[in-house]
Amino acid sequence: MSNNSANILDIKNIEVRYDNVILALHDVSLKVTKGKVVALLGANGAGKSTTLKAVSTMLASERGKVTNGSIEYDGNSIDKQTPSQMVGLGMVQVLEGRRCFGHLTVEENIISGAYSRKLSKSDINQELEKIYTYFIRLKERRKSQAAFTSGGEQQMIAVARAMMAKPKMLLLDEPTMGLAPQLVAEIFNIVKELNQKEGVSILLAEQNTNIALKNSDYGYIIETGKVMLEGTAQSLLNDDKVKELYLGISKKGRKNFRDVLKEESLKKRSN
Amino acid sequence: MVEELLFFMEVLVGGLLAGTMYSLVALGFVLIFKASATFNFSQGAMVFFSVLAFCGFMQDFNIPFVLAFILAALLMVVVGLCTERLVLRPLMNASEDTVLMATIGLGYVLEGLAQAAWGVEVRRLDLGIGDFPVPWIADNLKLFISALDIFAGLVAAFMIIGLFLLFKYTKIGLGLRAVADDAGAASSIGIPLKHIMLLVWSAAGVVALVAGCMWGARAGVQFALVDLALKALPVLIIGGFSSIPGAIVGGLIIGATEKVLEVYIGPFFGGAIEGWAPYVLAIFFLLYRPEGLFGEKIIRRV
Repeated sequence: MSNNSANILDIKNIEVRYDNVILALHDVSLKVTKGKVVALLGANGAGKSTTLKAVSTMLASERGKVTNGSIEYDGNSIDKQTPSQMVGLGMVQVLEGRRCFGHLTVEENIISGAYSRKLSKSDINQELEKIYTYFIRLKERRKSQAAFTSGGEQQMIAVARAMMAKPKMLLLDEPTMGLAPQLVAEIFNIVKELNQKEGVSILLAEQNTNIALKNSDYGYIIETGKVMLEGTAQSLLNDDKVKELYLGISKKGRKNFRDVLKEESLKKRSN
Repeated sequence: MVEELLFFMEVLVGGLLAGTMYSLVALGFVLIFKASATFNFSQGAMVFFSVLAFCGFMQDFNIPFVLAFILAALLMVVVGLCTERLVLRPLMNASEDTVLMATIGLGYVLEGLAQAAWGVEVRRLDLGIGDFPVPWIADNLKLFISALDIFAGLVAAFMIIGLFLLFKYTKIGLGLRAVADDAGAASSIGIPLKHIMLLVWSAAGVVALVAGCMWGARAGVQFALVDLALKALPVLIIGGFSSIPGAIVGGLIIGATEKVLEVYIGPFFGGAIEGWAPYVLAIFFLLYRPEGLFGEKIIRRV
């Protein structure tokens, strides 16, 4: 892997507990290289959201705590930061489930993302116009109440809102959840564009393994709070185990998880 | 006939203007409800505390009227600061019910502090505006309307416009509405919750002081103000807990109906229905329009 200064995020062996009891992450280590897109993959309850919240320091509001290991962002420990301080440092999380401000208009939602920055009215308008070049659809709907927009539009609002904070790094939590395939592609195109044109590093939690890896540089697969597998996106896409377990493709046709387990235990016994 | 109509008008206008005094109290509740989705049971105590401090500054220390008002307003900001630091921040991640209970406790603390500092006797508050009919209106329109009522109406209107502009057009107002919608998402994009809380509680404190001045001038500055503030409950149920215009309209409706009902239907019940009629109205609203007239409907896409 690359040296330290090239990494914007460096998570070392973290353990996370909720309510001091429930162990959500056992041992997660991961790195995000500056300017890259890194995918964090896994099933429901694997610990993807918990990992992201540990990084954005939003765990505290859910009575969670990093009980072991360390997280370094941009060369500094995030130990004593609050979520709003992290935003000030350029790390913004787009929460799972979009979480738009339903009673605010689309445009008010986006502007609220600039709350932490000291901008004049004209600066805000300038930023807004720039954001709209990525989210053309939102410009048409700028005056509608956010709660009445579609799921895809709400996801775009959430990302646009985060971009208004001028992040160096975005944490995206399942941005494609519940969206039609066409919208999934549209969202990923925008994410890719933001990464390339704005130079934002991205850590992306997804269940949609295939499309996430196709749009990432590097990937981690976690299961029950542990990193099971990591590698470049290409190598993971070609990995037989990933193909079988997460992409549902194998040489002998489709397979489910139980079949793979059975096969492995048979192999062990024959050894 | 004309006489009767005039009398009705007098009752109605008097009721409406008295209603603005309820609106003033209700405003304080709305501010806090908007930001933290909690009914602030200590609002009544804040009214009592602030106006008693105001009287105390003037009467015990001979501080001039305007300066005393400013001092009392600053004191309410300090109360807001302490509330945020000592009560709300430790309960940041607690449930809304826990915060609700904490506001009840806070109410008792404020009542106790106020009486410990300024004594328990009823004080007179003179705003320089009498609670008697304005001669000009009485002569020309043949309506007997209290000058204090008119003044309260003007003050209420002024505060509404101010708060509306604050919410709609300022950055802090945007932050406030964002927090009201989804505090978690607001903090994820860097809106500092503690600043918003501090602001809201201070604003609610100043609103309480203004409401307290109006009520104190009418009924004397006394402990009963605490319970009087609970009249804001039917106002909020009718207007909607999260709406500033709702607090105003709700107050007007409560003020007008309770006076009109008192005068025209009261005698059949042996009088004094003013005290409970608003609550009957509130029950109807709870049954048929629980979000109130202007409350934010829970928007759900299907």
